[in-house]
Amino acid sequence: MLHVENLTAAIGQTKILKGLNLDVGAGEVHAIMGPNGSGKSTFAHTIAGRDGYEITGTVTLDGADLLGMEPEDRAAAGVFMGFQYPVEIPGVNNMYFLRTALNSVRRSRGDTEISAREFLKVAKDAMDLVEMKQDFLDRAVNAGFSGGEKKRNEILQMAIMQPRLAVLDETDSGLDIDALRIIAGGVNALRGPERSMIVITHYQRLLDYIKPDFVHVLVDGRIVESGDHTLALHLEDHGYADFLNHGLDDAPEQPLTGVRS
Amino acid sequence: MSETLRDIEELTEASYEYGFSTDLDTDIAPPGLNEDVVRLISAKKNEPEWLLAWRLKAFEAWQAMEEPDWAKLQIAPIDYQAISYWAAPRKKPVLDSMDDVDPEIREMFDKLGIPLHEQKMLSNVAIDAVVDSVSVTTTFKKTLAEAGVIFCSFSEAVQEYPDLVREHLGSVVPVRDNYFAALNSAVFSDGSFCYIPKGVRCPMELSTYFRINSENTGQFERTLIVADDDSHVSYLEGCTAPQRDENQLHAAVVELVAKDRSEIKYSTVQNWYPGDENGVGGIYNFVTKRGRAHTDAKISWTQVETGSAITWKYPSVILQGDRSVGEFYSVALSSKHQQADTGTKMVHIGADTTSSIISKGISAGHGQNTYRGLVKVLRSGVNARNYTQCDSLLLGKECGAHTIPYIEVKNPSAQIEHEASTSTIGEDQLYYCRQRGMTEEDAMSMIVNGFCREVFNELPMEFAVEAQRLLSVSLEGSVG
Amino acid sequence: MTIDSPTRTGSDLSPAARRSVAERLDVIGYPTKRHEAWRYAPHRTLGALSFGPPVDIAAALPELDAKMPTIEGPRIVVVNGLVDTERSDLTCPDGLRLSSLADVSAEQPERVAHHFDIADDEIDDAYLALSIAFGDDGAVVRVADDVTLDVPIHVVDVAVPDPTRNASCTGVVIHLGARSSATVIETRLGVTDEFGGSNVRTTITLDEGATLEHVVLQDAPDTQVHLSRIDVTQAAESTFNARSFNLGAAFGRCAYNVVLAGAGATADLSGLFFGVGEQVLDQQINVVHAAPDCTSRQTFRGVLDDRSTGVFNGGIDVRPGADGTDAEQSNDNLLLSNYAEVNTQPRLEILADEVACKHGATVGQLDETALYYMRTRGLRADEARRLLINGFADQAIDDVGIEPVRAWITHRLGHDDV
Repeated sequence: MLHVENLTAAIGQTKILKGLNLDVGAGEVHAIMGPNGSGKSTFAHTIAGRDGYEITGTVTLDGADLLGMEPEDRAAAGVFMGFQYPVEIPGVNNMYFLRTALNSVRRSRGDTEISAREFLKVAKDAMDLVEMKQDFLDRAVNAGFSGGEKKRNEILQMAIMQPRLAVLDETDSGLDIDALRIIAGGVNALRGPERSMIVITHYQRLLDYIKPDFVHVLVDGRIVESGDHTLALHLEDHGYADFLNHGLDDAPEQPLTGVRS
Repeated sequence: MSETLRDIEELTEASYEYGFSTDLDTDIAPPGLNEDVVRLISAKKNEPEWLLAWRLKAFEAWQAMEEPDWAKLQIAPIDYQAISYWAAPRKKPVLDSMDDVDPEIREMFDKLGIPLHEQKMLSNVAIDAVVDSVSVTTTFKKTLAEAGVIFCSFSEAVQEYPDLVREHLGSVVPVRDNYFAALNSAVFSDGSFCYIPKGVRCPMELSTYFRINSENTGQFERTLIVADDDSHVSYLEGCTAPQRDENQLHAAVVELVAKDRSEIKYSTVQNWYPGDENGVGGIYNFVTKRGRAHTDAKISWTQVETGSAITWKYPSVILQGDRSVGEFYSVALSSKHQQADTGTKMVHIGADTTSSIISKGISAGHGQNTYRGLVKVLRSGVNARNYTQCDSLLLGKECGAHTIPYIEVKNPSAQIEHEASTSTIGEDQLYYCRQRGMTEEDAMSMIVNGFCREVFNELPMEFAVEAQRLLSVSLEGSVG
Repeated sequence: MTIDSPTRTGSDLSPAARRSVAERLDVIGYPTKRHEAWRYAPHRTLGALSFGPPVDIAAALPELDAKMPTIEGPRIVVVNGLVDTERSDLTCPDGLRLSSLADVSAEQPERVAHHFDIADDEIDDAYLALSIAFGDDGAVVRVADDVTLDVPIHVVDVAVPDPTRNASCTGVVIHLGARSSATVIETRLGVTDEFGGSNVRTTITLDEGATLEHVVLQDAPDTQVHLSRIDVTQAAESTFNARSFNLGAAFGRCAYNVVLAGAGATADLSGLFFGVGEQVLDQQINVVHAAPDCTSRQTFRGVLDDRSTGVFNGGIDVRPGADGTDAEQSNDNLLLSNYAEVNTQPRLEILADEVACKHGATVGQLDETALYYMRTRGLRADEARRLLINGFADQAIDDVGIEPVRAWITHRLGHDDV
């Protein structure tokens, strides 16, 4: 479903991704782990379409070239990104924001727009999923939200947008254990045979709650190791030292084909 | 970044939606201003002697005054002798039945989206429509009359309620107040008059729609609202003008008198023609708006300024009575080559008076936006309170935002707070919205509307919707 | 105002600096209430000043020595517009040159040319014109590249109104070389109770990476006028920390024009104006962001008692292209009397779009609850009041890095009395 081949990304002279290959099949959950500065967030943003990177390589979703698309067209194609630092938009009501977003995507897919009443129902289900109160919708988007509320809002948006591919960038950062449990519960509920996910994290902790089909280790802009969820456990015990020390030029660069564990 | 910038530029070049001119048969005076013109206007309107004398006094004052020097405005000189000071649709205004309104005028207001037909009317809004300088129709007169509310054209008020007019005219804005107020006092042609009797809560929103239609005319309307003790009124004002190459002058005066324990809420959505992309044409909007709040009274100004080539206006409140309250909520958008110099004056005279100012300035294109405000606490203003917040949003490289507050305090018990910020739409905000599927245009519009939220919340519902739409239209290329 | 003909005495300045003050004054005139920067000034008082060439006052000034802050280090004292060599100590550490302005004008005029050669159209103010005409002498501070001075440099200006004309002009030129660092304290005093005043103009140039801490202690007698103008030009990555204490004078004016001309420069201005009696204390601050990625802060506090008036007119002016500007400004005022007055005008003028600017102003009085709280803890009402005022003022004093200066200010404000 998602096919990434020989992807590079640079800001000016600084190369961040140095030839990344990945295939994500329908319904699969892939975890990407790596030390700080390894390029995890950059990888997420190259899929979502943030400006400012020089990019080469291929990224396709269901055969469609994502790299040529604007961020909103990627969203319409089914890409959803959960931000590590969700952006505050003062004065814009959360519900209005979500309904506009959903209708923008529906419109570009040729679907009819959803009415305020229908939307409220969709939103209510989604809110139950992440254990949020009604007044949440009346507040401005992320403005004055706590760290946990912001992350829950991301998952709420994912539940409403029903994406084909969700890329969750460090969704666990800055969360206490209760918030982590709620968010993981939301993510797990949204898993399905037609929805793929890429979960980016620094710590193995999140993967206790969201069990990935595959785990990849990203070091210095390349995937240096792939395996099943036991790889994450190994990382917890040994850290990234093994991978940091290894001759990076010898790292595997073949596309990894997913085999369910 | 550069891409975003280009898009912003494109978005802000939306053209003016209301640029049609209606072919009304107009009775127009030859250009020029002298004492005879003042006498002609007064005679045309069959005015009493005292009003003519008042006009002549104003004219004399105006001749002796100097045009203000424009601190932040780039302005072409105005030739006051090239303007026609009287233009009226020739067909006699009919005030009682909607069916008698000139069909062309009705059609024009339909185009503006101002339904004059009662059956199409927004519920609970009475409308006085002023074309060029003459009030053409006032709706819902009967319902209002039952409540004792007087809402009519200024000319009619002069004839029907001369004592009320004479008592209050010029009581808040004296003829010598400033250059444009003096000019207006000499040559004003019509406008709205409104009186809410003691203890009456006006049963509906009152609304005036202003339209400049004729070429080379100035519009000098006069609005006077008197809220007697314990009364309450909400008043809406909307403005449009056709697209012309020449600059047209609009110099209105609005006076509000809020007597003890009364409340006046005055809302404006101003959308005069702003001129084209090159800064040609557009309205010069030089307006004096001021209210006097007596004991326990409240005056609240809300304005959304998206039009005019140049806007120069400072809706003000004289907080004369103890515990009186003044409020000013403003959104001013300057795009293309528009210049806006707007703000408020809050003069705290009474004890325990409170004022609050929320100003949101948006600059795009080559627009220049200045907030200029005065908060003045006199020696007598014991325990005066003011809170001011001025935020500016810059969209693009060629525009400017200026914040020039004056705070003058002569009483130690006053508490004054002023806060201001200037920012731009964050790249990350746009990206976040686009990642959720919105186009850049929609995202911009949404963020700008969010920026203005606190002010829009003060508008009556229908106006808030209109204001949001106007802002989007002014910023986007969606209507062309 | 009366003006002598601007013929020079003493050392000869460069001919370019010789301009007819009368001619330029004719064009611009004296400021009036209509000039924004002079809106709240006492124009009648200003009109009573008479300027002329500096006059040597040989008289002993015993009261002066008691008034001056005691600060160890090089010192230059200017009395009535002329350097007083007796009271000055021009021995300098390596890397510092401290000289009289008249001497530098005579020997190396190019070093001070920028102080005098100002284009006609940039002379926007009568007192600038007067300063160019009559401010021949004063101080020149030059710090060489890469030098870090650990002793402060003290520049003292003393006004002594004399019968021939009651106002003098002084010039101060400060130039810090690249990556150098120094502290300059400018103390402005007056002696005698006669009416008069001084007009001191300081021109500061900071080369790349230089850091200057600049303190102004204005404490002229309340019969006198003190006009101060400080023009600062900052190169890339330089830092200007200004601390002003506007305490004395019938009319005490402290004006800064700071131009952030090089990328990454920082200007941090803070100050306190504390008015009693019928003083008018006027701060005029303008910071121009003319280059990208510069930072500026303006933090001024006013305390106004009796019938005094405080003025704060602070501007942040962001020019086109000054992207990455980070500017903040605040002015907080405390009114202590029913007849005191404050006029504050925090201005923002923004012509670049990648900016983050904030400003704020407040006016208030002492917090009744805090006073009550302190009294329940046993403080007398006047003590409690004093402590609160001191606490408010201290936030400006804390910014001063030099202990003797802090001590002088707190002593001057009577903090020790509590």
